[in-house]
Amino acid sequence: MAVKTVIDAIGKIHPDSIIKQCETQGICEITLAADAFFEVMTLLHEHKPFPFDMLTDILGIDRMPRTPRFDLVYLLLSTKNFTRLIVRMEIDEGQDVPSVSSIWHSADWAEREVFDLMGIPFSNHPNLQRILMWENFEGHPLRKDFPLEGKDFDKPFDPTTIQDYC
Amino acid sequence: MGIETQLIGDNVLVTNLNKLVNWGRSNSVWPCTFGLACCALEMIASTLANFDISRFGSEVFRPSPRQSDLLIVAGTVTKKMSVMVKRVYDQMADPKWVIAMGSCSSCGGIFQSYAVVQGVDQIIPVDVYIPGCPPRPEAVLAGLMKIQEKIRTEKLNQRPDFKTGLF
Repeated sequence: MAVKTVIDAIGKIHPDSIIKQCETQGICEITLAADAFFEVMTLLHEHKPFPFDMLTDILGIDRMPRTPRFDLVYLLLSTKNFTRLIVRMEIDEGQDVPSVSSIWHSADWAEREVFDLMGIPFSNHPNLQRILMWENFEGHPLRKDFPLEGKDFDKPFDPTTIQDYC
Repeated sequence: MGIETQLIGDNVLVTNLNKLVNWGRSNSVWPCTFGLACCALEMIASTLANFDISRFGSEVFRPSPRQSDLLIVAGTVTKKMSVMVKRVYDQMADPKWVIAMGSCSSCGGIFQSYAVVQGVDQIIPVDVYIPGCPPRPEAVLAGLMKIQEKIRTEKLNQRPDFKTGLF
């Protein structure tokens, strides 16, 4: 199987970087250690003969009582033979994650979305700003401890408090 | 034959200015081309041949707020969009009316959320609320007829634009 050779290659170059390996819905999933994350992602992108040249999406999952608190899930696709790979990483609150936007340009907006809604900071990101919420919004709404109605829900809404590029 | 035969000669039609102006305004309520969510599709459907909003003189959806009289807030008003809704309303020339169409723009609807304005009447004054999620085109027409009714019973010197000296 094509994915197995990639995972074996990672294991040779960066031993102990893959913590866990499993298969869900016929798609291979690996859990990476945080320290070798960027190097392994670079390797996945440049691996021959079928590089994972497309980053479909980045997901952030808040598993609040657990430490480390967050899961980051990267969905990779190789357009050469159409195999998929799920890369998962467990990180704690405030822990720095290297941005992969220098590897895949699609990561730019995806990481901004994860930063906006989950509050996970990405280092070396070219433009880490909010993408969905307005600029002076306080908090990160998809965190488990964020109240659904938000702040000041019982008070009348004033549109002049919204500061955005528009 | 018709009214043409009566027009020969020096006939005089007596009415008051209030009624004449309101009659003209109520039969040419031009809405703004402005849709926010799924309610906008029902608003579009009400303009098409099956429901035919032009029976009420409102078929001319103006692409500019400066040429329109009626703002149909059709859909969920998010807090990020509320700035734009307010700006479109402010750009409209007096006299102007507002319909809050659907549950979302009336009161927030199902979106009891950090991102959604709980009723567009927190931003701009609303004349008619249309309930429904989304309302059928018949309900849009009913709301429009309510607006017409309101215009016909208006006193010109009691309009808000007259009172603020913008008339």
